[in-house]
Amino acid sequence: MVYLKNLTYRYPRGESDVLHDINLTIQEGQFFALIGPNGAGKSTLCYVLTGFVPHFYKGKLSGTVTINGRDVFDTPLPELAGVTGLVFATPFNQISGARFTVREEIAFGLENFALPREEIIDRTEKVMKLFNLTDLAERPPTALSGGQQQRLALASIIVMRPRLLVLDEPTSQLDPVSTHEVFSALDSLINQEHLTVVLVSHKLEWVAAFADRVAILDQGQIAADGPPEEILTSAELTIHGLTPTQFTAVSLMAQRTGLIDSKKALPVTLDQAVQFFK
Amino acid sequence: MENIRKDFTTITWVMIPVAIAVNVVIGQLVVLLKLPVYLDSIGTVLVGLLAGPWAGALTGILSNLVWSITGLFPQAWAWIPVAAVIGIMAGLFGRRFKQLGWWLIGGLLTGIIAALLSAPISAAVFGGVTGTGQDFLVGFFRATGASILEATFGQGIVSDPLDKTITFLIVYLVVRALPARFLDRFPRSENVV
Amino acid sequence: MSAAFSLYQSRDSGLHRLNPLTKMTIALSGVATSLIVSGVWGNYLLFLLILVPLSAWGQITYSFLRAVFRVVWPFAISIFLIQGLFWTDGTPVIDLGPLSFKAEGLLFAVISVGRILLLVGSFTLMTMSTRPDALMIALNQRGLPHTLSYVVLSAIQIVPMFQAKANKIVEAQQSRGLETSGNLLKRVRALLPLVEPLLLGSILDIEERAIALEARGFGRRVKPTSLLILKDPVWEKILRWAIVALVLALLAVRIWLW
Repeated sequence: MVYLKNLTYRYPRGESDVLHDINLTIQEGQFFALIGPNGAGKSTLCYVLTGFVPHFYKGKLSGTVTINGRDVFDTPLPELAGVTGLVFATPFNQISGARFTVREEIAFGLENFALPREEIIDRTEKVMKLFNLTDLAERPPTALSGGQQQRLALASIIVMRPRLLVLDEPTSQLDPVSTHEVFSALDSLINQEHLTVVLVSHKLEWVAAFADRVAILDQGQIAADGPPEEILTSAELTIHGLTPTQFTAVSLMAQRTGLIDSKKALPVTLDQAVQFFK
Repeated sequence: MENIRKDFTTITWVMIPVAIAVNVVIGQLVVLLKLPVYLDSIGTVLVGLLAGPWAGALTGILSNLVWSITGLFPQAWAWIPVAAVIGIMAGLFGRRFKQLGWWLIGGLLTGIIAALLSAPISAAVFGGVTGTGQDFLVGFFRATGASILEATFGQGIVSDPLDKTITFLIVYLVVRALPARFLDRFPRSENVV
Repeated sequence: MSAAFSLYQSRDSGLHRLNPLTKMTIALSGVATSLIVSGVWGNYLLFLLILVPLSAWGQITYSFLRAVFRVVWPFAISIFLIQGLFWTDGTPVIDLGPLSFKAEGLLFAVISVGRILLLVGSFTLMTMSTRPDALMIALNQRGLPHTLSYVVLSAIQIVPMFQAKANKIVEAQQSRGLETSGNLLKRVRALLPLVEPLLLGSILDIEERAIALEARGFGRRVKPTSLLILKDPVWEKILRWAIVALVLALLAVRIWLW
């Protein structure tokens, strides 16, 4: 689904490479999480995966980027819009403002693609059900809470049926309750559609709960890449300025104090922690 | 035509509604502070500078339309030509932006032209008054024997050049505070970086 | 439907169900007529005999009259005082010591206020009974580029967000000791710390908003589908042409009389 080879990128006026010699392949259907300290280049990588680099942000880009079999360099942005979808942190900036109700806001992207009216209505209704937005259908998008707006932003992208969904810190501006809302919406989505997801998040508990694979990005380079149980408990995590999940931290403490056998694999999720302490 | 199209990128289309909201909200803030200026065209000037005179003109036109539709200032559509010209002037003087003196002269000239254009509109449509506190100036000029047109122009020439010069100055300060990497995104970035 | 930042008053009325283009035709012809009619009472009569009954049909008479008078009132006061008292070489009719109301000035004021009443009234009637999105979509269907309706509609929705932001900034600056009242110099000094964060923040938002729009196919050059279907029966089309013909006839008569 995603194939990056020797990818190097520098923003216009940038003094150094934001991304340096990245090689990455993501299989179709994989849930791939990208973690790393601030300024590591995570958002820039998200822009590469959605074509905004190099089509929106110019600058110096070298290497190969292939998404769903298409060369991103040769595919204009409007063509990519249906293939790869981006959701980012600020809810308000993702509301188009061009439509006055939640239902019409979701339909906006499909209208731009000039799909038949019946199909738009059908797809919009389905997505509203999936994201639990049906009750809000007639509400103005600007009157929703941050969490509701973020669910709306996610729904507005999903309704376009992208093959690759890129989520750049989708909950960083939300409170815990809203975060839970957004991730549960995501959960129902993965179970229902065969979709490749790239998630950037600092909330490692959620990363551990969802991801099939985790990579650490630091200073524009991939520092570690593997299954969540391995990466999220590795020493690499703290080397790159990240804090392990509470489950891992508590378990590690338990091992150090001799409470638990130190050969036992460290947990990253609640379920694993329960097993760990049994 | 091709040149005009180049000014209307997605960034421009997104900037225009934001600029309109800036016009409205700062315009209201100034009323709140009871200042003797309007400052209701900061957004228009910004778009003219960053996306060219035609985008500036469109911002002015749609701005007044939005003032009208929302009922905040229902008679605003009558001044659409003035609003459009402010955007055009900002676009034309955009090339002089880097020389602050020239840029402020641009603001002053814009104010004079705005006063010249609004006077006949006020005189022919609105009985020669603005319906605001500024009308004491109109009254003053009428009392000294000026005609209706002269009196409204007198009111305009006292307030508009000052208002537009301050507007241009504020736009200068704000644009100077923005990073070059960000300004690069706008169609007329060569005006400012 | 958010009524927070629009004059629109939601009702289930015949006026509301009219095609937005019909209401726009009425509004624009009202504006044109107000500038054409030159008699003293003509505009007042048109206001009373056409706009007020239409507002009653739309079940919005009270809020319509309130909105119109709120706008016309300050104009009326200014015009009566300024043009009434300071009319050059006028005939005094009401004596107020050193000043006097002049007959010519008062006549001019009556004519001007009538004109303002009709042109503010006809525009207000349209905006109160027409959803802005319906109006813009109707215009899109007649060939207006959808980018223009995006600008108008999103501006209408961004404004209340910015107002909330502005209020927060004002409160924050006040709590840091910034004075927003007091003498002129103090108030001028208060301006920049208020305006700058608001402006910078909103300009920096532009980039993200553009990305979000592109992600939803905004840059595609195809004619978008419209979810909203607007009724436009034949009689409304005829009505619109009839109104246009009437205004043109009025204009012809006016020119002929000149």
